[in-house]
Amino acid sequence: MRYLFLLLVSFTQLSCSIQLDPLYHTQSYVFGTLVDISIYGEKEPEAQFIASEITRQFQAIHNRLHAWKPSELNGINKTFAEGKPKLIEQDMADMIADASRRSLQSEELFNPAIGNIIHYWGFQSDDFPARTPDEAELSALLAQHASMSDIVLNQHQISSKNPHVKLDLGGYAKGYALDVGLKILQEFHVQNALINIGGNVIAVGQHGDRPWTVGIQHPRKPDAIATVALGSGWAIGTSGDYQRFFMLDGKRYCHIIDPRTGYPAQGTQSVTVLIPPSKDAGVRSDVSSKPIFISEPARKAEFAKKMEVSHVLIIQENGEILASPAMQKQLNWLDKEAQTRVRTLE
Amino acid sequence: MFGRLSNFKHFPKPLWGDWLVIGFSLGLVILSFFTLWSQQPATTLRIRTGSTVFGEFSLMQTKSLKILGKIGVSAIDIQQGKVRFKQSPCNSQYCVHQGWLQHAGQVAICIPNQVSIELIGAVPTMDTLNY
Repeated sequence: MRYLFLLLVSFTQLSCSIQLDPLYHTQSYVFGTLVDISIYGEKEPEAQFIASEITRQFQAIHNRLHAWKPSELNGINKTFAEGKPKLIEQDMADMIADASRRSLQSEELFNPAIGNIIHYWGFQSDDFPARTPDEAELSALLAQHASMSDIVLNQHQISSKNPHVKLDLGGYAKGYALDVGLKILQEFHVQNALINIGGNVIAVGQHGDRPWTVGIQHPRKPDAIATVALGSGWAIGTSGDYQRFFMLDGKRYCHIIDPRTGYPAQGTQSVTVLIPPSKDAGVRSDVSSKPIFISEPARKAEFAKKMEVSHVLIIQENGEILASPAMQKQLNWLDKEAQTRVRTLE
Repeated sequence: MFGRLSNFKHFPKPLWGDWLVIGFSLGLVILSFFTLWSQQPATTLRIRTGSTVFGEFSLMQTKSLKILGKIGVSAIDIQQGKVRFKQSPCNSQYCVHQGWLQHAGQVAICIPNQVSIELIGAVPTMDTLNY
């Protein structure tokens, strides 16, 4: 009997040790970037079904909001240019109203109405050639004063007072999709999952007995600079000058445009924000980092406050690293040299 | 042999030099822990094309791979513990410029060609990457 017990114990231990991590992981390409979904603790067929449902919804959002291919959003842009009103779906109206509110909140440093300037620089394409800017052309585009405040929403009817408003929700759509993804996970009662859309990440539950761990990309090295444990419902987002850029005469031109100058924002390598759980955590993780990225060094803390961000990490062009006190507590530094250069953002 | 072990009972009191050696070794262990633990060498390379895993390969070999992606062929070099995108059909060449990867957790992605390479170590360092 004693030997039988021992045998049983050994078998139990053996089965425990060979049981695989119940993690379902899948990748796909949507929004012109990599979408990475991890679901922990569900049976594989269920996890696979839920992940494909999320991916399907992401693709639908992408198709509706595409900024340079025929899409619902471009239909709106076309009627703006023609000076006509258009009837739109409720969720689209809500999204545009929300983006307008956040644009105001950021003193228009987040300005999704400047699609014409983004197009000028060539960032509205999958492969963009380096282009020498023409001062006169850029000044003409800036003089259009495209602003979200030009948009008039009357229930389901939308119009623009300015025909030059061209919506580009490139700095909003991925965050919006994260919130939709979270909703789908909740509908399917998924307890533990992680969704990553091109670097914007949202977490649900945890990975087994530990929190989901997310690496923060070093802007100039092929390594993570630090990791954070992303709690349930938290989201993380980064704006970086290394994701979409071109080099011209030794100068870096990134895809984040300063709406005040019409030029790619200079002086910042990356801004990472951590957003606590809320029903718009995804959108906030996407939008909030942009005004902080674009603003001048002396005003970065002010814009973090304006965007209601208390966890922020900033890496400046000169290598200076700034982190808010709340963010410093969350960071687990992998790059020990970088850690020595951290200053508190005040 | 057992006789020798019993000598431990009469082990002389450590001198200050012994403490120095012990302290130095301890420091070395702690330092190695922090430097090596955070940058764990990778053992395996996982290559994905689109949403499927193309394959997993040992990093401890010298091998050239050609992967057919969405827009063309990506050339990947494995060289005894490290890997890189050697050639890519994309315009931006970000993947090629990332150079050699050798630590667990490092990822290089060619978004236009939808090919990704990921380095895996004995202990997973992170679940995903914010970039």
